[in-house]
Amino acid sequence: MAAGTISRLDSPLVRPVRRATQDRWWVRALLLTVALGFLGLFLIVPLVAVFVEAFRKGAAAYFAAFAESDARAAIKLTLLATGISVPLNLVFGVAASWAITKFSFPGKSLLITLIDLPFAVSPVISGLIYVLMFGAQGWFGPWLIEHDYKIIFAVPGIVLATTFVTFPFVARELIPLMQAQGSEEEQAAITLGANGWQTFWRVTVPNIKWGLFYGVILCNARAMGEFGAVSVVSGHIRGETNTLPLHVEILYNEYNYAAAFAVASLLALLALVTLFLKSFVEWQHARSRREPSSSS
Amino acid sequence: MSIAALNIRKSFGNYTALSGVDLNVPSGKLVALLGPSGSGKTTLLRIIAGLEQADPGSGRIQFHGEDVTDVPPVKRGVGFVFQHYALFRHMTVFDNVAFGLKVRRSRDRPSKAEIAERVNKLLKLVQLEELAHRFASQLSGGQRQRVALARALAIEPKVLLLDEPFGALDAKVRKELRRWLRRLHEEVHLTTVFVTHDQEEALEIADQVVIMNQAKVEQVGTPQEVYDHPASPFVYQFLGNVNVFREESLALAGNGAYFRPGALVAGGLVYVRPHDVEVIPHEAGMDGIPAILRYVHAAGPQARLTLEQVQTRELVEAEISRVELERMRLTVNDLVLLRLRQTRSFEQDYAI
Repeated sequence: MAAGTISRLDSPLVRPVRRATQDRWWVRALLLTVALGFLGLFLIVPLVAVFVEAFRKGAAAYFAAFAESDARAAIKLTLLATGISVPLNLVFGVAASWAITKFSFPGKSLLITLIDLPFAVSPVISGLIYVLMFGAQGWFGPWLIEHDYKIIFAVPGIVLATTFVTFPFVARELIPLMQAQGSEEEQAAITLGANGWQTFWRVTVPNIKWGLFYGVILCNARAMGEFGAVSVVSGHIRGETNTLPLHVEILYNEYNYAAAFAVASLLALLALVTLFLKSFVEWQHARSRREPSSSS
Repeated sequence: MSIAALNIRKSFGNYTALSGVDLNVPSGKLVALLGPSGSGKTTLLRIIAGLEQADPGSGRIQFHGEDVTDVPPVKRGVGFVFQHYALFRHMTVFDNVAFGLKVRRSRDRPSKAEIAERVNKLLKLVQLEELAHRFASQLSGGQRQRVALARALAIEPKVLLLDEPFGALDAKVRKELRRWLRRLHEEVHLTTVFVTHDQEEALEIADQVVIMNQAKVEQVGTPQEVYDHPASPFVYQFLGNVNVFREESLALAGNGAYFRPGALVAGGLVYVRPHDVEVIPHEAGMDGIPAILRYVHAAGPQARLTLEQVQTRELVEAEISRVELERMRLTVNDLVLLRLRQTRSFEQDYAI
């Protein structure tokens, strides 16, 4: 009786107060189920499938897929294209963000818009642009043939297409960061007698390093995984102009599933490493904001 | 090292920040550039530092008689303290202060031990020795300000320029720091210019105050000179509260025996500071401007009274001591007489 009284008396107080922003339990459950279910169905399951398929014929077949000379050539070409386009975009990204955030000049907003162009344009179109410019029938085609330069269906074309598709990544990361930081620290460095080079390396770079690193990781992942633009300009010459994603396609079309998935698993692994690095960088960055690390 | 700015003009697009400004800072003095926001004071400071260029064809900047107009900021040898300090956020306090020494060319660069010694000496000067290994984000506003100052002093600048040095601090820290800056100035005797919009700050610590308004210099003088002899209605009003009387209304009130005018100009305005308004209880036959006490604000050592003139119905602010107020036993809506101890009028007819 006593207990009943207490519970009745207390009940209006004990009942958890629902905050305005807190949804009912079934709404939360539904949303979580939808989100996680979607993630599982469209991301986790395919990712697992890649590795399962890759190892279906055993580890020996898996590693044999990489021993093949065409696969090795594809890996080499991918590394080469990435190795050229990522540093190029790194330099471009830093220069563009510096220009956009530290000076005012005519055409600034046009530059900001143009940086986003590769995001807006379908990669296939990006590839086609280069074919139209440098292909045999293109604007510079006759001149290139005359001087025996090969761009389309050759390595330079692949590098160009990769660079084009990936050039927003670094700049997009740096512009908001540098805008937020302003240029007072650089001005302070200048009044203290630092020249432009010292100011850049000792003040600007340490302030943007995590943003820069993040941009480079994303740029790298996209450069290695790019399919559309590269496919248009590559010509699919085995052992010569095939990158990893193109190699996967060829193997798959030849019903060589185990090898196709083995190579695909390499790219998937790259994605996982990228995600890991990304989280690591975000964590580092958050930490350095809270309490600057002594790493500098 | 004296600083001279001669006929400096600067505009940003259509906006004129400085229209032909002259400035003379004598060697070893502490000078305040005082003015409301938008008066051009920070722009002038940045032009002296070389962070901003004066409009082409306009005047020159000289340090100790030597023209530095075309010398880049890197080589001007100015210590600049930014309003928001601009400390290097990825460096410790020590590294911030050492920065200016570390970036010197190797033949001018002191040895590591010398740098450490100098930085520690400076940190001692600004009373931050214990915090040498902290980062800027771990310091209070006042501490950051002192780091910024030590960093600027580390390069042994010829002149020290401070942009709103106490602007971002709370009232109490602000007062402490400005006295500290004054003492520091007396120790190092570096020619110093600081920008402020706070007249109390400028009047308290500067040797010389340069009052700026609307891209021009209004008046230059010692704090006492500018306070006692303001050159324009703007200066008068900017340096403290002020009452404005029309001369006719004073003439209307009597023969003028109860106020001692300066050089009065017919039709002019008469300026009186609230503490120069004497309030006495109304008695028949006494000289004075009749007024009614409307409001008493008595928090603090001084009582601020708002009074309404009987003839013109215009309001007057007066400041009298609490003791005096209590002695007179005044209450709201009492009739009183006002006498003006010190007045000032200006030739031009200004619209207030």
